[in-house]
Amino acid sequence: MARDKIYLEEVFPSPFMQLWQIFRKTPVAMVGFSCFIFLIILAVFGPILAPHSPIEGQLDMLLLPPAWHVDGNVSYLLGTDELGRDMLSRLMYGTSLTFGLSFIVVVISLVIGVVIGSLSALTSGIKSSFLNHFLDVILSIPSLLLAIIIVAILGPGISNTVWAVVMVLIPQFIHITRYAVKEESKKDYVLASKLDGANPFRILYYSIFPNIVDRIMSQATLAQSAAILDIATLGFLGLGAQIPLPEWGAILANGLDLFYIAPWTVYLPGLAILFAVVATNLVGEGIRHALKLRKER
Amino acid sequence: MVTTLMNKFKCFFILSLSVWSLWGCNNESITSLSERSVIYCAEGSPETFNPQLVTSGTTIDATSNQLYNRLITYQGKDNTLTPALAKSWHVTRDGRKVTFYLRKDVPFHQTDYFTPTRLLNADDVIFSFNRMLKPEHPFHLVSGGNYPFFQDIALHLLVEEVEKINDYTIRFHLTHSDSSFLANLATDFAIILSAEYAQQLTQQKMKASIDTHPVGTGPFKLKEYRVGSLIRFYRNDEYWQEPTKIEQLVFDITPSNTGRLTKLLAKECDITAYPIAHEKIIQHNDLTLEAVTALNVGYFGFNVNKPPFDNKLVRQAISYAINKKVLLEAVYQGKAELANSLLPNTSWAFDKSIPEQEFNPVLAKSLLEVAGFPQGFTMDLWAMPVQRPYNPNAITMAKLIQTDLKNIGIKVKIVSYEWNTFLHRLKLGEHQSFLLGWSADHPDPDNFFSPMLSCSATHTGSNTTFWCNQEYDDIIQQALQTTNIGLRKKYYSQAMNIISKEVPLIPIAHSKRYQARGNNVTGDVLAPFGGISFYQVAKNNSLNANNKTQNDGEN
Amino acid sequence: MLIFTFRRLNLFIFTMLLLTLLSFSLSFLFPGDAIINISGAINATPSQLIEIQNAYKTDSNIFWQYIAYLSHIANGDLGLSMASQSKISTEVLNLLPATIELSLVALFIAMFIGIPLGFIAAIKHNKTADNVILSISMLGYSIPVFWLGLLAILTFSISLGWFPSAGQISLLFEIELVTGIQFIDILISDSPYKWQAFADASAHVILPASVIAVAPATIFIRLARTSMIEVLETSYIRAASAKGLTFQQIIFRHAIRNALIKIIRHVGLQFANLVTIAMVTEVIFSWPGIGRWLIESIYQRDYTAIQSGLLVLSCFIFVVHILTDFIYAALNPLARGNKYGS
Repeated sequence: MARDKIYLEEVFPSPFMQLWQIFRKTPVAMVGFSCFIFLIILAVFGPILAPHSPIEGQLDMLLLPPAWHVDGNVSYLLGTDELGRDMLSRLMYGTSLTFGLSFIVVVISLVIGVVIGSLSALTSGIKSSFLNHFLDVILSIPSLLLAIIIVAILGPGISNTVWAVVMVLIPQFIHITRYAVKEESKKDYVLASKLDGANPFRILYYSIFPNIVDRIMSQATLAQSAAILDIATLGFLGLGAQIPLPEWGAILANGLDLFYIAPWTVYLPGLAILFAVVATNLVGEGIRHALKLRKER
Repeated sequence: MVTTLMNKFKCFFILSLSVWSLWGCNNESITSLSERSVIYCAEGSPETFNPQLVTSGTTIDATSNQLYNRLITYQGKDNTLTPALAKSWHVTRDGRKVTFYLRKDVPFHQTDYFTPTRLLNADDVIFSFNRMLKPEHPFHLVSGGNYPFFQDIALHLLVEEVEKINDYTIRFHLTHSDSSFLANLATDFAIILSAEYAQQLTQQKMKASIDTHPVGTGPFKLKEYRVGSLIRFYRNDEYWQEPTKIEQLVFDITPSNTGRLTKLLAKECDITAYPIAHEKIIQHNDLTLEAVTALNVGYFGFNVNKPPFDNKLVRQAISYAINKKVLLEAVYQGKAELANSLLPNTSWAFDKSIPEQEFNPVLAKSLLEVAGFPQGFTMDLWAMPVQRPYNPNAITMAKLIQTDLKNIGIKVKIVSYEWNTFLHRLKLGEHQSFLLGWSADHPDPDNFFSPMLSCSATHTGSNTTFWCNQEYDDIIQQALQTTNIGLRKKYYSQAMNIISKEVPLIPIAHSKRYQARGNNVTGDVLAPFGGISFYQVAKNNSLNANNKTQNDGEN
Repeated sequence: MLIFTFRRLNLFIFTMLLLTLLSFSLSFLFPGDAIINISGAINATPSQLIEIQNAYKTDSNIFWQYIAYLSHIANGDLGLSMASQSKISTEVLNLLPATIELSLVALFIAMFIGIPLGFIAAIKHNKTADNVILSISMLGYSIPVFWLGLLAILTFSISLGWFPSAGQISLLFEIELVTGIQFIDILISDSPYKWQAFADASAHVILPASVIAVAPATIFIRLARTSMIEVLETSYIRAASAKGLTFQQIIFRHAIRNALIKIIRHVGLQFANLVTIAMVTEVIFSWPGIGRWLIESIYQRDYTAIQSGLLVLSCFIFVVHILTDFIYAALNPLARGNKYGS
C-alpha cells in the first residue's frame, strides 16, 4: 500500500474488494468470520494441538465430567466418555472431520458445479432445456434426503458421505452459476469485449467471473452450512462416519446411551455443530447484506 | 370493533374451557385404564410366539410364561421341581419310564381366532412333544423344523416314545436314564400346545399360524402383535389358577437403551428391561432398580470354520491379548464376575481350579508369529445390537476389544445388525467372530455345555462357533448318563479344561440381570434363569395416588 | 388452466419415469443379485426363484425388464422386505400416513408461527423486533434437529413431564389401523375411550411436530418478511394509505392477503424439506413413520425396502409439489402462464 504512485490514477476496487470493504464494516459478520477462520485453523491444526488421542481412551478416567464440575479433572477440560476418551480432543479431531470435510466438500462441488454451470450457460436448445428440467427435479428433493439416498446406494461410511454430499451440492452450484452467467452475459460490458473479438472462455474468465464470484461465495456459505448439518446428521444416524471416528454427529449418537449419566457427551458435540453452523451462516448473512448494500450504492 | 373483539375473546374462552374439561376427564379415565394395565418396555421383537422354536431370551420373555404352561415347573429359592399342568409324576427306578398325571381343569385360550371345545388332555401333551421329536409329524416341518433347545440336548435320541395311558396320563419311554430330563421338561421350551387348535388349522390349511397366532393355557392370551412395535396381551379370565390382577399387558418394543430409560422416566412404561444408567434410576424416589443373580455367561466367540480362526494358535493368541478386567470395569461397571469358563460360581459344578485367563500381549504376539501372522490381519467382529443380561453393551465391548487387538497388530471391523437379523446371520455362519452369551434355562450345568458347544448344536445354530470336538462331546454325554453328582462334576471339569485349551470362545463375564420399575407396580417378574413372568404383577393404585400428590407438590 | 394442467401432467409423467428408472437401476447398483434385490425373496426355493424370474422377465432385454418392473409397481407389488419378509406395500401403507400426519401438523405449526412473525418483522422493518426475530430465525435453522429433539425430550418430557416422549399414542389404547392417520382412526373407532385417546394422541404429536416445525418456521419467517416488505412498497398500498386508511386496515385488508399468496408457492418446496426433517425426528421420537422404517432398512441392508421406500417417498414429495402448484395457480391466475421453474 505504501507504493508511491507516479501517476494519479483513480483506483476502482474489484467487485470482490468492494464487497469486502462493506463486509468488514459489519461487526456481526466479522465476529462470524473470525469464528469461521478459527474453525478452519482448528480443522487444520486440531490433530496436532489435541492433548489426547481421540480413539484410545484412558481406562482409569471413565466418564469424567468437564473440568468446572466438582469431580472434573483439569487435564480433561471437557470431560471424558465411556471409554475414557478426552472429549476436547475428540471435538478437536471432529472439527477436521465435520467442519474440515464440509469445507472440502464445498470446494470440490463448487469447482465442478461452476465449471459445468458456466459451460452449460454457453449452450442452448434441447440440451439446455433438458438440463433445466433435470435440475428442477433434483433441486426439488431436499439435500439431506438426497444424501441419504446416495449413502443408501453406496453404503454407510465417511468417504461415501463425502461423495454423497458433493453430489447433492453440485446441482445447486450449477444452477446458480448458470443463472448468474446468463444474466451477466446480457450486460453491455460483456457485449463490448465480445465485439473486441474475445473468445467465450476469455469473456467468461476475465469479464464475467469477477462479477459473479460474490454470488457464488454467498451460495458457498449456504452450501457449507447445509454440508455441516448433512454430514453430522448422517453421522448421527449411523450412516456416515463409523465407529470410532470422532465426527461430531457420531460423537453425539455415541453419547445417547450416556445421556442421563453423562449429559456433556451429548451437549458438547451439539453445541459444536451449532457453533460451526452459526458461524458459517453469519458469514453468509454478511456477504448477502454487503451484496445488497453494494447494489443500492 | 370492540364488540367483535369481545365476541372473539368469548369464543376463545369457551373453546379453551371445553378443551380443558376434555383434558380433565381424559386424565381420570386414563388412570382407570392404566390402573388395570401394565406396559413393559421390551428390548426386542420376538421371532415367533412358540418358544419350542428358539433359544433367544427375547422371544422366551415374550412368550413362555405369559402364554403357556409346562408340565412341571421350578419354584422357590432352591428351585425345586413342582407340579404345573401335571399334578404329579413318577419316575421308575431305572430312570427309563417317566409318567405324568395331568390336571383335569385346564382350559385353552379363547381368542379371536380360536374357540376351544374341550379342556387340556393327554393328546395335547403328546402333540406338543411329538411335533418336536418325530420328523414325520405333520407339524414338524411347519416353521422350519428347527427345535434348537431339544435338538441340542438330543431329546429325540433320548425319548423312545410318548405313550398315552389314558386321557389324563402319559408316559415317556427313555432309551437310557438321563439326569437332566426332568430339568429339561421344566424349561421354558417344553410348553404345551393345543392339539385341537392344530386340527382346526390343518383343516383351514393355515398350519403356520400355530406359531404366529398362539393358543396356550397361560395367564395371558395374545390380542395383537405389531411387528417391531408392540405386543398386546389380555388377561386369560379362565386361567386354571387364580387369574392375574391386571387386565392388559403391553410389551412396548423399544430396542434403544436410551429410549427405554426415557420412557421409564417419562412414565410411559411401568417396567423396563435391561435399564442403563443405574445411578440415575436409584436417584429417583419413585423408581426401583432390581437385580437377580442370573446363571449366564457372556463370551467372545470365533467361527472356527473361517480362517484364520480355524487355527487354534490364533484363538489362543487373541485370548491372551484381551484385558478382561478392563472389559468388566467399562462394560459391566464392575458389577459382574470375571468368567474363567462357562459355569458361574453359583452352579454346583463350578470348578475353582480352572485358572484365570492371563492378560499377556507379548505372549499373544509371539503366538501370532508362530501361527504365521507376524503382520497381524483384519477381522470382523459382530457385536449384538441389544442389551442382554450377560452383556449390557456389546458395542462398547467391541470397541475395547478393537483397541486391545490393535496392540498385537490385528485390525478389527465392528459389525452389527438388527437383533433378529443378527441371530439369523449368525446361524448361517456369515461371521468371523462375535460377541454373544448364554443365559441358562434351568439350573443343571448341562444347559451350558450341550447347547453352547456340542456337535449337535452346530447343526441347530445355537453353537455358532461351529466348534465340534468328539472328546468334549463324549465327556458331556457321560456326564448326563450318571446321577452321581461327584462324578458329573469331574466330567464337567474335564470339559471345561478342553475349552480352555481349544478356545472356541473366550468367556468374559457372569452378570446379573437388571430391571427397573415404577414403585406402584408390585409382584416378581425376574427369575434367576429362564424368561420373565408377569403372572404376579399388579398395580398398587393407592401408591400411585401418593406419587401423584408428591409430583404435584414438586411442580 | 387447461394448458397449465397439461404441463404439470407432462412434468409429472417425466418425473415418475425418472424416479422409477432410478429405483429400477438401484436393484443393479446394490450388492447382490438384482432379481433378489428387486423382489426381496431371499428365502425362495429354486422353483419359486424361477417363477419370480419369469415374472420380472430377467431373460429378456433390459427394456422389457423395466416394463415388467413398472407393471409390478402398477399392481401395487413392491416386493418383500428382506428383513421381515412381509409385503412392502402393506408396510408402506401402514407407515406413510403416520409420516403425513406428523408432517402436516408440523407444517401448520410452522405456518402459524412463522408467517405472523415474518409479518411483524416486516412491519417493524429494521427495528429491534425485526432484528430479534431474524436472529432467532437464524438460530432456528442452524440448530441440528436431532439435538433439538433430544433437548426437547429432556426438558418437556422428563423434567417438566408435560408431553410424552415417544410414539403416536399411549399403547393402552387399542386403535385399529384403518386409514393409518391416527386421528381419523380414533374418530371412526368404537373404543369406549375415544376422546381420551384423541387427547392422548394430540399430546403425543405436539412435541415431535414442534421440533420438526422449527426449521421450516424460520424459513416461513424469511419468506413472509420479504414478501410483506415487497407488498408494502407497492403502489396500491401507497394509494391505500393516501386514501387515509389506518395502518391496521391496510395491513389486515390489503397487505396480508397479497403477501400470503406469494408464500403459498413455497409451501410445497418446504413440505419436502419438512418430510426430510421428519425422517430424522421420527428416529428420535420413535414415531412409527416411513422415515424411521427407511433408515432402519438402511442399517439392515434391506435393499428391497430401501428401493421401494425411496420410490414411494419421492413420489409422495413430488405429488405434494404438484398439488401446491395447483393450489397456487387456482388462487393466483397470474401464475398459470408461468413456465415451470422460472
